Amino acid sequence: MKKILEIALGIVTSVGGFLEIGSIATAAQAGADFSFQLIWAIALGGLCIIFLVEQAGRFSAVSGRTIPDAIRERFGFSYFAFLYIVLALVSLLVLAAEIGGVCIALELATGIHFQWWTVPAGFLIWLVMWKGTFGVIEKGVSVLGLVTLCFVIGAYLIHPPEAQVLRGVLPSLPQHDKAHYWFVAVSILGASISPYLFFFYSSGAIEDEWNEGHIGVNRIIATGGMTFGSVISISVLILAAMIFAPQGVKFEHYSQLPDLLVPVFGYWGYWLLVASVGIACLGAALEITLEIAYFTAQGFGWNWSENQRPRDEARFAAAYTLTIIIAALITITGIDPLKITIFSMALTAATLPVSIVPFLFLMNDYSYVRVYRNGWFSNAVVIAIISLAFVLAVVSIPLQIFGGG
Amino acid sequence: MNLIRDCLDKQIDDRVKRRMGRVDGIILEVEPGRPPRVAYIELGVKTLMNRVSSRLGNAITHEPYRIPWGKIKVGLNEVRADVEAEKTPALEWELWLRKKVIGRIPGA
Repeated sequence: MKKILEIALGIVTSVGGFLEIGSIATAAQAGADFSFQLIWAIALGGLCIIFLVEQAGRFSAVSGRTIPDAIRERFGFSYFAFLYIVLALVSLLVLAAEIGGVCIALELATGIHFQWWTVPAGFLIWLVMWKGTFGVIEKGVSVLGLVTLCFVIGAYLIHPPEAQVLRGVLPSLPQHDKAHYWFVAVSILGASISPYLFFFYSSGAIEDEWNEGHIGVNRIIATGGMTFGSVISISVLILAAMIFAPQGVKFEHYSQLPDLLVPVFGYWGYWLLVASVGIACLGAALEITLEIAYFTAQGFGWNWSENQRPRDEARFAAAYTLTIIIAALITITGIDPLKITIFSMALTAATLPVSIVPFLFLMNDYSYVRVYRNGWFSNAVVIAIISLAFVLAVVSIPLQIFGGG
Repeated sequence: MNLIRDCLDKQIDDRVKRRMGRVDGIILEVEPGRPPRVAYIELGVKTLMNRVSSRLGNAITHEPYRIPWGKIKVGLNEVRADVEAEKTPALEWELWLRKKVIGRIPGA
């Protein structure tokens, strides 16, 4: 019974981590501009992240180390520093987008412009970090995140054409706006294969004191959670394809988001959307903030754990405090949060190879993972993901220029 | 033991298992006619910057903290130093932040 509860909570947590402003925005954009045609990009991203998250969890459960720990040990300081700078810059931008998402939800709820909500939202995130334990962040916010299931119910109730939805699972070439099509596809992959997800998951395995006995649990949580998250993203795409696309409406501003649920749920659709966006973004903001602080502390060998008092790990507490301040300063400038989101997702895609290449080495290192090393199939999948990451890295910036508009 | 694989960049814990940093550098002593001898391990930003570029290293004035090799035990997965971390310069920043900033915020 305890194991079942652990698995259920783990899956819910993974969903909480997966669904954030990036996946909602890119899925809505894809549905509005290309109807069901880009479902394959969410499915492909989901498949990649299942493998990476499973491997990150297995690595930590067996070795008792996090992935950043091992990267510093095996690849040395120079590689670690390069990855750290790249990841910190991208994560700060993604965090700014998530804080923007929380603010947009508050704007939709109150009518007060989102910029005014930046400081209260940043303070709320900091307060949860300051007072909360890992369990509170991991499970509390994620359970609240179940409200995002309203997208799945909405997609079911709107009766999408099944044949077209299924056809969308298979990749196809665009009929119009080719550069924009591939730009949205790359952004979806950047939103799905988020490095913060698997780095955070690896630290979470240590916080939850996983060991070799958790390998089966890890596999079920990684597969179940990421699949579930992908289904919610696909539901957002379906809603946008059914509501925006037929009217030729482009998804250009977050204020259009309620239009996804109001036609299905009426008055309550508006508030379900506000709650979904607010909670999903709050959860993601907490996870990204923690991930940057974890990465810093682990790389430099500081004391770290969200379960300790801030004064017992002052540098760790200072790291997350500073992270929130910098990201909030980006949000408070008033740059359109949707633009920050789309840009940061493309940038995530551009930097994927530096985060994923170490997996191939670490997951085959006997001194860390012993008999739980990757088999030929898992290695083939990692090589395929790395190849995809290199393609994304090369095309994302040119596509941002030619297809981002 | 392979110094690079088993010691460099590994987590260092003090004698009460408190994390105090990573092995940022290893200092060898070379005497004529004798094999090189490991003398110290180093912790510090200057050492780290030196590993990236000597120009960056020279820009840092704060000297790294050295622990004599005799106080170091290299285990399978970690490095243990027979010192009390809070009484060493390794936690200088940690203690300063605790005293001056973090410790002053309510709820710390």
